[in-house]
Amino acid sequence: MTNAYKIIDHTYDVVIVGAGGAGLRATLGMAAQGLSTACITKVFPTRSHTVAAQGGMSASLGNMGDDHWNWHMYDTIKGSDWLGDQDAIEYMCREAVPAVIELEHFGVPFSRTEEGKIYQRPFGGMTTNFGEGTAERTCAAADRTGHAILHTLYQQSIKHHAEFYIEHFAIDLIMVDGECKGVISLDLATGELHRYQAHMVVLATGGCGRTYFSATSAHTCTGDGNAMVLRAGLPLQDMEFVQFHPTGIYGAGVLITEGVRGEGGYLTNNEGERFMERYAPNAKDLASRDVVSRSMTMEINGGRGVGPDNDHCFLNLMHLGNDVIEKRLPGISESARIFAGVDVNKEPIPVLPTVHYNMGGIPTNYHGEVVTLKDGDPDTVVPGLMAIGEAACVSVHGANRLGSNSLLDIVVFGRAAALRAAELIKPGSAHKPLTEEDSAPILEHLDRIRSAKGSTGTAQIRDNMQRTMQKHAAVFRTGESLEEGLVKMRDIVDSFDDVRVDDPNLIWNTDLVETLELENLLCQAQTIIYGANNRTESRGAHARDDFEERNDDTWMKHTLAWTDEKANVSIDYRPVHMYTLTDECEVIPPKTRVY
Amino acid sequence: MSNLRTPLSQVKGHGSAKDGTSHFWVQRLTAIAMVPLVLWLCFSVASLPGMTQVEIRSWVSQPFTAVLLILLIATGFYHAKLGLQMVIEDYIGNHGPRTAVIIGVTMLCVFMAVLGVFSVMRIAFTA
Amino acid sequence: MAEFRLPANSIVGKGKHYPAPEGATNTRTVKIYRYDPDSGKNPRIDSYDIDMDSCGPMVLDAIIKIKNEMDATLTFRRSCREGICGSCAMNIDGSNTLACTMALADIDGDITIYPLPHQAIIKDLVSDLTHFYAQYASVEPWLKSDSPAPPDRERLQTPEDREKLDGAYECILCACCSTSCPSYWWNSDRYLGPAALLASYRWLADTRDDATGERLDDLEDPFKLYRCHTIMNCAQVCPKGLNPAKAIAETKKMLVERRG
Repeated sequence: MTNAYKIIDHTYDVVIVGAGGAGLRATLGMAAQGLSTACITKVFPTRSHTVAAQGGMSASLGNMGDDHWNWHMYDTIKGSDWLGDQDAIEYMCREAVPAVIELEHFGVPFSRTEEGKIYQRPFGGMTTNFGEGTAERTCAAADRTGHAILHTLYQQSIKHHAEFYIEHFAIDLIMVDGECKGVISLDLATGELHRYQAHMVVLATGGCGRTYFSATSAHTCTGDGNAMVLRAGLPLQDMEFVQFHPTGIYGAGVLITEGVRGEGGYLTNNEGERFMERYAPNAKDLASRDVVSRSMTMEINGGRGVGPDNDHCFLNLMHLGNDVIEKRLPGISESARIFAGVDVNKEPIPVLPTVHYNMGGIPTNYHGEVVTLKDGDPDTVVPGLMAIGEAACVSVHGANRLGSNSLLDIVVFGRAAALRAAELIKPGSAHKPLTEEDSAPILEHLDRIRSAKGSTGTAQIRDNMQRTMQKHAAVFRTGESLEEGLVKMRDIVDSFDDVRVDDPNLIWNTDLVETLELENLLCQAQTIIYGANNRTESRGAHARDDFEERNDDTWMKHTLAWTDEKANVSIDYRPVHMYTLTDECEVIPPKTRVY
Repeated sequence: MSNLRTPLSQVKGHGSAKDGTSHFWVQRLTAIAMVPLVLWLCFSVASLPGMTQVEIRSWVSQPFTAVLLILLIATGFYHAKLGLQMVIEDYIGNHGPRTAVIIGVTMLCVFMAVLGVFSVMRIAFTA
Repeated sequence: MAEFRLPANSIVGKGKHYPAPEGATNTRTVKIYRYDPDSGKNPRIDSYDIDMDSCGPMVLDAIIKIKNEMDATLTFRRSCREGICGSCAMNIDGSNTLACTMALADIDGDITIYPLPHQAIIKDLVSDLTHFYAQYASVEPWLKSDSPAPPDRERLQTPEDREKLDGAYECILCACCSTSCPSYWWNSDRYLGPAALLASYRWLADTRDDATGERLDDLEDPFKLYRCHTIMNCAQVCPKGLNPAKAIAETKKMLVERRG
């Protein structure tokens, strides 16, 4: 059966899977350092979901007032609810300044201050002086920062003659004796398979927002790299931490940037009250996202939501004035008009907390190398494999990511991965030949799904999964509901054995691709809901009604989740790194988190 | 039809001709120049006392009229040549036929222009 | 080259009709261009009666609904569903636009959907944009500067200079503009088209870039640039409200200005 597929072989020093911000930064970094580099991507690079990031990228440039990377580090650790690894956070916050300057030198069209410097706006959880004041730290290109950065990175990649395999769907990693040797992809345009042998495979495949029914994530955010890692017998880390963005447009789920609140917008309930003043007296609407999302949910649950069903809140920005809206927030006025039918100069935007980001992912160290727990060593590096961006869990975001730290994450760790790869790999060094057996199971797996002739359509199973996750692993979670969700998810996962692929062809078979993506989503959904049920505390984005307090004694540790071929989950743990890389900063010990 | 050239190489093709701006610019200049000339023509023809051959010959033979008519003919055919070339380049894809038609049209325009100018001069100098 | 008739293998035939599910009272018909490269048959128009009571507001919602519930083989590109990735560009109701930001309510009668015009079709609504992307790359759309960047801070730019990029940098490369341009239909082998020319202008307008002269040299060509006849379809269809024709006019102006 496997002979039915035409396979084209390639050999590279490095292969990057994914061409979002992280993937492109790594690609151009590696290409520029003389490594033979290929980037495989299932959508044209500028269509990756980085393009949808709006508000900005944090870096303590201090263009708009005093700032220091130590303060940024403190905010990130506090934002992470002390689940972030402090060495990695130190690295990210220190490297933020050169990273954003490098982007500017690449040509990113940042908005400007009167002195001609990069414009910076306040964002949730970003403070000065270890929590005292409000920091203006988020570098912005109006409200299209992700678009500006992604397009610039793609342009730089063309400049550096990086090689792309566009509209190739990566199927699986080629693993030999616990080492990653390459990856296999399906070329959508021809239906041919490509087998890439590489000294290093870098997964930059993004998050799995589409495990949920309502997400700001694109349809393509299916966490394919995460699932490949699970199938390779490696664990994912902290998957139970799913960020709900406070301001997704009600109904459509489309993102409205936190930058709106950074520019002075605020949330109200049905009494017109600025309720965030009650929940976060200091930071108010600029508290961290988990806090704002929970507060909104409490208002709605308390019957103070707006709309005929009292089931959402209002985001007000009418008072900002035409000039600010036009200059700083042109994109969101367009989104609000199209998706909510609202003129932001006159009316508030109806918003609801919406699934936005996976703090969890593939565990890595701050070089981007994938690590696993092996023989008691929680930092065992998996040879030949890296992960960066939302796919990775470095972990710099811990239990909750601060807004504008994700564009930072992708650029800093995309660059770190490139630097590390240059250290580890001698350009052009020889490869040990692969055998046909190494990729045979992957081809058999693909063939099984392609010829699946069950009775349930892909879309039906996907819908069941998304609704179950939305209902049982939402902003607030209880043991009872999670248990119920686990039972349902078991049935849904089992129903995948009966899946049906209607399109028999190989050229641009999106039916097949969606089915492969669904399979990827299912195992990740399992790790999310299983991890959520397992973690009997509340921390960051994981809020348990039945365990309302953070429990540092038991739970200040990362969850590691493995799945078997039936997507049963097994759990173990890694310690949180409570140390720094240098003595230029101090470890921030855990304390109560108040905004 | 298989083509093994890379997409970028196909797009780059023979590179830039470093030309076209004068075509663009002169086409606009001639258009603007023709606005007063055509207005003058319409106005003058309309205000002629009669439309007999004698009357028109006498009008054309006036120095001012002859100069403006020569200017109009020259500008008009130059503009026509430039515009027709644009249309031909738009609609005829193959290089050979396109060049042939452009040469033909250019020659026709030059011929018509010379014929027009010569006619005006003949009237002007033989009246 | 202008073509006024479809080649024999592109003539569109009548396809299948998919009736609405039983009990649906509020239905609309969506007619979609289908082409299956594996069968080698001519393209066809399939029509789907969809239940509007369980359909989202946008055209993309409708075609996703069709793929999910009626015909899983329907093939199209889509990703962000919020008008920023540029994947779902197609010809809807006779005009190029993004399916995700085009409201069904804004279309009268049946909804007809074709792929972007005058592009090679790979399958159904998926067209081959390789040439379009190569044209984008050919304008070398990256910052070029011989003035070294300051080592530890950003290049400076006044807010006024930065404002010159507004309307030029927001392009999402959806190809709606280029594939709506008759000049591009006839001469896309040599004419760069509005999208690539807008990308080029984005760098011509950037005060941090100092390759303006070389960029203009490369553009000054009867075909690459001067095929633009200000037809303005590009500005008409741009789903982001940009005006590539204006950028092209600015580029021509710069070329005229540097002559003296």
